[in-house]
Amino acid sequence: MRSEFQYRRPASIDEAVAMKADLGTTAMYWAGGTDMVLHWMRSIHSPELCIDITRIEGLRGIEIDRDSIRIGAMTSLDELDRSADRHCLLNTLSDITKLMCTPQTRTIATVGGNLCNASPAADLSPAFVAMNADAVLAGPEGRRRVRMEDFFLGVNKTSLSGGELLEEIRIPLNPDLKVVASYRRIDRTVVDIALVNASSCISVDSDGVINGCGIALGAVAPVILRVSDAETLLLGLSVRELGRDREELQKVEELSAIAAKPISDVRASAEYRRQMVKVMVRRTLQDCAIQLKA
Amino acid sequence: MVNLHVNSRNVDLDIKPHRTLADVLRTEMGLIGVRVSCSEGECGSCTVLVDGRPCTSCLMLVNQGEGKSIVTIEGIGTPDDLDPVQEAFIEEQGFQCAFCTPGFILTAKAFLAENPNPTHDEVSVAMSGNICRCGAYPYIVRSVMRAAAKLREFA
Repeated sequence: MRSEFQYRRPASIDEAVAMKADLGTTAMYWAGGTDMVLHWMRSIHSPELCIDITRIEGLRGIEIDRDSIRIGAMTSLDELDRSADRHCLLNTLSDITKLMCTPQTRTIATVGGNLCNASPAADLSPAFVAMNADAVLAGPEGRRRVRMEDFFLGVNKTSLSGGELLEEIRIPLNPDLKVVASYRRIDRTVVDIALVNASSCISVDSDGVINGCGIALGAVAPVILRVSDAETLLLGLSVRELGRDREELQKVEELSAIAAKPISDVRASAEYRRQMVKVMVRRTLQDCAIQLKA
Repeated sequence: MVNLHVNSRNVDLDIKPHRTLADVLRTEMGLIGVRVSCSEGECGSCTVLVDGRPCTSCLMLVNQGEGKSIVTIEGIGTPDDLDPVQEAFIEEQGFQCAFCTPGFILTAKAFLAENPNPTHDEVSVAMSGNICRCGAYPYIVRSVMRAAAKLREFA
């Protein structure tokens, strides 16, 4: 039996946090609801109070300045899709949203809701990890920043605690470097979740030398995995080498496959997933190389 | 109490908040053109326009529709005065059983407002969130292309 609940629509982050602090676990933050409604229908969650945070102005919108891109947690997937021409990283994120759910669900689903649902197969999560993004959390004790790869603790588990809510995502930018990112996934059809996914983000200096690298894997562990040892191998290489058959690239693929801890289920075997991790990582790096040439 | 603005009409509803928008539009307001099929946001049957954008109303809480302009299939035309998109669906027979048709028409309406001169492929992608179990897709794409031509004529 699904629970009956009261509904509140706080006007500010502080008001929302105070409401949650008052009522504790019986109160739940509610964003677009595209996951929450299903959880509520199936009694996975049985809130007594729904705190609708979608209309809090401070949680919305995308802003770009010299040092970072800020994406408010209540930005809808549709709004993120429409930000493509504002920055090349937003262009990559926009392409990812097109793979997610359906057009009429993307108008209500939010970036923050997708991250807080913490599905290991989520499409945006590996991209944010590869982009070195931080999650900004607001709670009764104030604000704190968590690196995106530390935000996910397990299947549907995040580092949000004690009434905190996700306020925004910050993607760092270095004005002296050119940055690109890419994402690949294996799926069977549209409106599907990834069997395996991966994202890479590459920064190069004015000589085309790789100065920063992020590689993240999804759907091969309870959390998004960052392959730091593989990233290090690419630093100092010329971006021209990325498309070629170099020893470092094979090593990056192998390290990624070793990092992956996939399971076998009805959708794919662990062995298949591990093999596909190599393919996905290679393709994301090739995609980055193509973008950097353009 | 929930206040909704639906099809240019303001209504106050004395209902509990733990209801979906689709449920309230159907059972409290009799707008049964809002079709509920999968109840999981996958099939697009329950699509309504919220401030002009297509939304799966089965995943929205009724309170989340407050203060917004909601349009259902009942709000875009009457049998005597059909919307050009409705006319095009009839002329091209863009349906078989027609259960999914309101969702398709509303999605098409929002899409054509932004892209008045689409290609077949763009129409297919735009309609990808609506499922037609009769498989009338080729006719539906033709209907949307015809609707686009009609709307360009009126513009």
